[in-house]
Amino acid sequence: MASTATTGRRLLGTAGSLLAIALVMALFFAYRKYQPAIHPPRLRVHARALPYYALCSFSRMLAAYVIALAFSLVYGTAAAASRARERILIPIIDIAQSVPVVGFFPAAIYFFVSLARGRMGVEFAAVFLIFTSMAWNMVLGVFESVRTIPNDSLEALDSFGASRWLKLRRLILPACVPKLVYNSILSWVAGWYYLIACEIITAGPAEYRLPGLGSYLMTAADKGRAAELVAGLFVLLAIIVAMDVIVWQPLSTWAEKFRYEFAASTESTRSIQFLEALNGIGPAFLGIIQAALRPIARGANAIAQAAPSFDREAYPRLIRIGRILRITVIATLLFVVAYGVIEGSIALIRTLMQPWPDTVRSIPGATLASMLRMIVAYLISLAWTLPCAIYASENPRFARALAPVAEIVGSIPATALFPLIVLFVIRATGGMNLASILLILTGMQWYLLFNLLGGVSQIPADLKEAARSFGLSRVATWRKLTLPVLAPSLLTGSITAWGGGWNALILSEYFPYRGVTYKVFGLGAMLDVATYENSKSSGLMILLTLLSMILVVLLLNRFFWRRLYDLATERYRIDY
Amino acid sequence: MALLELNHVSKSFTHSKGSLRVLEDISFSIEEGQFVAIVGPSGCGKSTMLRIINGLMPPTEGQVLYDGKQVDTINPECALVFQSFALMPWLSVKANVELGLEARGVPPAEREKRASFYIDKVGLDGFEEAYPRELSGGMKQRVGLARALAVGPRMLLMDEPFSALDALTAITLREELTDIWQSRDMPVHTIVIVTHIIEEAVELADRILVFSPHPGRLAADLKVDLPRPRDRRKEGFNALTDKVFSLIEERS
Repeated sequence: MASTATTGRRLLGTAGSLLAIALVMALFFAYRKYQPAIHPPRLRVHARALPYYALCSFSRMLAAYVIALAFSLVYGTAAAASRARERILIPIIDIAQSVPVVGFFPAAIYFFVSLARGRMGVEFAAVFLIFTSMAWNMVLGVFESVRTIPNDSLEALDSFGASRWLKLRRLILPACVPKLVYNSILSWVAGWYYLIACEIITAGPAEYRLPGLGSYLMTAADKGRAAELVAGLFVLLAIIVAMDVIVWQPLSTWAEKFRYEFAASTESTRSIQFLEALNGIGPAFLGIIQAALRPIARGANAIAQAAPSFDREAYPRLIRIGRILRITVIATLLFVVAYGVIEGSIALIRTLMQPWPDTVRSIPGATLASMLRMIVAYLISLAWTLPCAIYASENPRFARALAPVAEIVGSIPATALFPLIVLFVIRATGGMNLASILLILTGMQWYLLFNLLGGVSQIPADLKEAARSFGLSRVATWRKLTLPVLAPSLLTGSITAWGGGWNALILSEYFPYRGVTYKVFGLGAMLDVATYENSKSSGLMILLTLLSMILVVLLLNRFFWRRLYDLATERYRIDY
Repeated sequence: MALLELNHVSKSFTHSKGSLRVLEDISFSIEEGQFVAIVGPSGCGKSTMLRIINGLMPPTEGQVLYDGKQVDTINPECALVFQSFALMPWLSVKANVELGLEARGVPPAEREKRASFYIDKVGLDGFEEAYPRELSGGMKQRVGLARALAVGPRMLLMDEPFSALDALTAITLREELTDIWQSRDMPVHTIVIVTHIIEEAVELADRILVFSPHPGRLAADLKVDLPRPRDRRKEGFNALTDKVFSLIEERS
């Protein structure tokens, strides 16, 4: 039962989140005034163009990943360094995680295009979008890894007089490896989803077109070229499977080496084994990378060890200069940020001061409509994933067969299938309602399934035996054992599923296809209409729809999901 | 007729790299009213043995006869007590104890009466509404015992029931178990306990089945003639313990 203190704190947290988000949006809107016309790249739908498009898409993913990796290492270790820093830095990540990313994409385009004219701006926006879908869970992974390093290990290194660099190299970075590998896999799955999504989004408005697999698929669907569409899907699948076999499998195996035994691993090692021969490729590839990096690592090591330890007392003037320099840099950064915020806030206020169009009045209705669609999609997801999970709990062979299939199918970015789905469903029903529910569904169900399957694997064997040996019926076992054990996983899965659903919403309610724009009455559609059908009040509409969406998401998270989750983990925790 | 009879029982587990022979040609029988201990080092399949007797697993070869009839499914006249207690963390003590009764379709009023009786019998009177995480290890195992007794089994099967407890609590619980077995108002007269602690076997049982590992084989079948209550300091005790120990050593 939440006391008034907890509710008060929750309200304060929500208000704080809203404030932070408003500030970020202000930053983006500061640059709305710039909308340069650029020469749009032509999208060719030929199988020959596929390698080039695949390369484009892959490069964006790689760039975003490298940035996310560096960012998470720096941010995560900084946050883990002290409690005070943790209290500031981690809630920021929390807020960032609960914001529907795709909604920011139009604003991000405006922002980056003003910084770097032309196509580069749009590329930056795309990479930024993918970065935001990748970075947060990796930061948390690094943070958790560093925080759970046992004190004994740190003390041992200290007692041997280890330098900071040595501690980093021998203890902190290796400790991050298991979670980083696992979260990198997740990040790439999310990244593909958003990359294809943003390539699809930009495929519409001529000035923002990005050549890549997503836009290829979209254009192919638009022109009705089914064969090329399938070819594109095949290439995407091939890239994902190849990455899994060549990169993630060997990395996962290698990462197991770094696990502490007492930090019991609940993530099963991946189970896709295609050909025994292919297994050799992974380690060989890794070996090549290691051989290439070794001289660099050795060089860095030599420099770090050769540098004498710095005696602070000996150079007071140098210390003072250093301090002044640091203050100056921080002050400049703060000044730049403040300037951006102020200019953005002015732009924000100016936008809000515009006369509000009548469509604003339909925002609550649209929100309700969208939520209804999401509830339907959620119930459909639950209707098939929960029985699957329960059956998997009773039938280990089914669970073992399901895992690799679910992994591959779940890695395919559903956004790549959007053109295909829309092609068929609109032809069949002539309208967008069913299609949008299906599209939202694709963004929800895998999170639910994976979390539930994870929960199933954690049902304690002795509880299963006890239930069987005391003759519990099948239904009684579900009621007394399976469902209670699954409750926390069900909730975590539902929370992430709804997060995915909100993102899918923006893509599902508005679809330009074959010259006709199919849309339904909903919040996502309103946002897309405001973005792509330029009118005088579109800036205002974008702002208001985004704010409403974020408000609903935050309120739902804080007051519904979080509460259910606390209840479930409190009641159904297994801890003896 | 013997209550339980095992004829040439063997058990293998198959996995991706081949099969593992866990039990090899086990034959013995148990009469009603006996307190039998199965002793052996890890890897001798004693826990597997217990689950085969209960019907949780079928033997790969051989047959298990209970009361003259072949055991195909879970035997409702046996109740299992687990090393890890195996309580449902989200059910109260009372609900946990009632679990087996509920599975047998006993009506609520009767369930509650029986559960309260056995909760009292194991010394947990007053803790009916407590949750497992609020209990100590010894108390949790008492709940496990109450749950097993509540279904009124003819044979109690215990899988290393005191191995997860500290030594002092284990001593207390062993005494209580002996009291329960000896008091004639308890439904259960036959107990099979699996343990790796030789002293525990000698203290509790009338008969010790010594298993040797890799694969599990019945190495020896000893009678324990020492008078009850058993005392470690009395002479026969240590002699028997040494004998069991040497039997295990020479076979493993």
